[in-house]
Amino acid sequence: MQKIDLLGLDIACYKEKLKNGLEVFMLPYENKKNYFISYATRFGSDVLEFVDSKGKKHKLCEGIAHFLEHKMFEQEDGVDPFTFFSESGTDSNASTSFDNTQYICYGTKKFEENLRYLLKFVNSPYYTDENVLKEKGIIAEEIKMYEDIPDFKLEMKLREALYKNSSRRIDIAGSIEEINKITKEDLYNCYNSFYSPENMFVLIVGNFSYKKALKIIEEEIGDIKNRNKPKVNTIKEPVAVNTKEVILKENIEVPKIGLGLKVSTKNMKMDDLELDLYLNLLTTLIFGSSSEFRERVRNEKLLSSMYIEWESLPDFKTFYLMASTINPEKLLEEIKYELDNLNISINAFERIKKVWIANEVKIIDSIDATVNNIFDDILKYRKIIPNKLDIIRNMNIDNMNEIIKNINFKNISIVKMIGK
Amino acid sequence: MQYIKKDLGSFKLHLIKTDKFKTVTLRVVFHSPIKKEEITIRNILTDILLQSSKEYNSRRDLTIKAEDLYAADITTNNQRVGNYIVSSFILQVLNDKYTEKNNLDESIKFLSEIIFNPDVLNKEFNKEKLDIVKNNAVVALNSIKEDASSYSLIRLAEAFDKNSPLSYRMTGYLEDLEDINEANLYKYYEKMIESDYVDIFVVGDFDNDEMLSTIKKYFKFKKLKKKKEDYFLKIKKCNSKRLFAKETIDNTQSKLAIACPVNKLTDYERNYPLILANIILGGGTDSKLFSEVREKNSLCYTIHSFFNKVDNLLVIAAGIDKDNAVKTIDLITKQLNELKKGKFLEKDINIAKEFYNTAVEEISENEHRIINDYLSRELLGTDSIDERIDKMNKVTKQEIIKASKKIGMDTVFLLEGVKNAEN
Repeated sequence: MQKIDLLGLDIACYKEKLKNGLEVFMLPYENKKNYFISYATRFGSDVLEFVDSKGKKHKLCEGIAHFLEHKMFEQEDGVDPFTFFSESGTDSNASTSFDNTQYICYGTKKFEENLRYLLKFVNSPYYTDENVLKEKGIIAEEIKMYEDIPDFKLEMKLREALYKNSSRRIDIAGSIEEINKITKEDLYNCYNSFYSPENMFVLIVGNFSYKKALKIIEEEIGDIKNRNKPKVNTIKEPVAVNTKEVILKENIEVPKIGLGLKVSTKNMKMDDLELDLYLNLLTTLIFGSSSEFRERVRNEKLLSSMYIEWESLPDFKTFYLMASTINPEKLLEEIKYELDNLNISINAFERIKKVWIANEVKIIDSIDATVNNIFDDILKYRKIIPNKLDIIRNMNIDNMNEIIKNINFKNISIVKMIGK
Repeated sequence: MQYIKKDLGSFKLHLIKTDKFKTVTLRVVFHSPIKKEEITIRNILTDILLQSSKEYNSRRDLTIKAEDLYAADITTNNQRVGNYIVSSFILQVLNDKYTEKNNLDESIKFLSEIIFNPDVLNKEFNKEKLDIVKNNAVVALNSIKEDASSYSLIRLAEAFDKNSPLSYRMTGYLEDLEDINEANLYKYYEKMIESDYVDIFVVGDFDNDEMLSTIKKYFKFKKLKKKKEDYFLKIKKCNSKRLFAKETIDNTQSKLAIACPVNKLTDYERNYPLILANIILGGGTDSKLFSEVREKNSLCYTIHSFFNKVDNLLVIAAGIDKDNAVKTIDLITKQLNELKKGKFLEKDINIAKEFYNTAVEEISENEHRIINDYLSRELLGTDSIDERIDKMNKVTKQEIIKASKKIGMDTVFLLEGVKNAEN
């Protein structure tokens, strides 16, 4: 077992890789009562096609990863996992994303039993025609619930505008039409292909003994073999955005805009983590809460709420900006002006670094926030980053300028959502 | 964790010392009896105080100052607690151990600057800033239907009892917004500072005497205030005939919401047996509603119930297809009746107790929850954590049944989605 100190944060991560490839990351805390366990697979809605070890191609229904997540909670012995956890006052849940599915439980009691059970139930699929059929009504309501949220719709339309082929243009939950085609055989096929130790990891944070935890993990998963070895080919995605501009009419009172910037990373030589940090810093400087842009559009009453985010996929980083505004045209003009006239102040650059370092310290105080933070690192960079504070401290404006040179700021998609 | 309460005459100071966190969290709480016509101006006031101050002339300057204090985080919110409106100014900042000497002192001073030294000239707030804040409020008020769930709950409360504070929209009202100007906003500010009850809570690792003198240095309220109206709301009696209300929305999903007043609860029932009854009925994934309506009948993705003990109101909410409304209401009614008849197991009670215990135990793991806990002890006389765990563990099935029988079913509201599914 490897002990990795997270420098400057008074906490260590214990890391182990089982013989079958399962990775285990554990961050025990001494002064907390609660714990959080995540058992995750690197299988999400991104995968819509794969080739099995015999060379056979499998096409999947949209939304199958999410459907499978729902169906994991069905157990042959009739015990409802939710109930099992509840008996010790433990919360449990699961979520599906583009690039992962995770099963979690968190509470203050019966850590060892709950860890064992979490691993056990995710390792015991039980799909029947009847229980698959039953889930379709529930997921249909989930899909409809999201469809009714204007911000969600805006993001989906922006994704369709940005990507031509990537599965990022498809809702994680799929569509009602697609999920209605899913059968129990499809679910077993996906399970056997992607719920294999070498495609999965366990992350535990909080109040627990890492030695006991590892022993339980070894007992429950150590003997599990990797089943099918699926090969997922990267979907070829052109550098240029799919559509430059889309106008949507929805039942809303206040218009919304979405802007996406698609950045090809093929020519960027930087380490992926550093690249992410620089790109985030760049957009924080341009559009963040202490930017001149924000002050200007606030004073001109152009902005009431705004949300920015970066997303990673092979060969691309994509920037999303979504906002509510009473004047979409003017706000878009202001945003484009910023992107065309980049002006990075060294003071602001250093100040945001200080903010980020402070935030890393704050995050480590909270079990939930730490889980999210570390989970993201494992997923994106396949490792723990022990020296993140130093990496942030060492960021410099020359590197930033080098990156800026490699970005085509004209490669953007715009979605305008206006009232009917 | 060590708790000290000091009555400083014009306000009460609550110091909660713990070495659990790397941050210090400070919350200044203003509270006064709620008036419907004051909600909007209260929202505008807390917003404008975060736009600028005398010393920091713009929102950007304020933000930069906060960033320079190692990302000191300052937020405000207004909530209704029973018959009261409760406004909070919250500061969270790293302990000096992780930053530099005096950073904490500077941060507390900064918060006091925001509260006591607003951007005011000749007893008037800055007009431009007010326009910005009012404009944002208009946008927010016009977007209220975007969150269909919370909109359905607002409409339910209005259909249930439009005169009760529980139906007041905490988002405020467009018609009240128009009347707010630079001068009357300042008058309202003065009124809040002078006549609201004030409690200040501090959680973190600090020296009690030092913190006391820091707070005394930066927070000076003049008047002594007398207590006080009851926080608990008197709920209207349940109608003998169920009331139905409906509104349509251009959505694919419909939102069903049901108001269940709970009359004549004793203090004990309100804090213990009924809390368990609610968990058993619709608290989580093991609840009667979840297993019956979602798992057995596939009628919804979300369904739950929640009990607001200060309001004496239990609400059931679900996202459904409009064609299933009648069937869903029948199933919900049946589950509620089963609860009243005691059709649940000892196991269900134990699960509910464990659920509650964990929630109570986790309070100590989060600064904001700790403050909320002491706040509800202060305002509502809630028992301490140990007392609560102890009393809850002793609740019997008979007590749960007895309290459940007081749950009525008064108003059913359907926000009917009339858009055809696009698939």
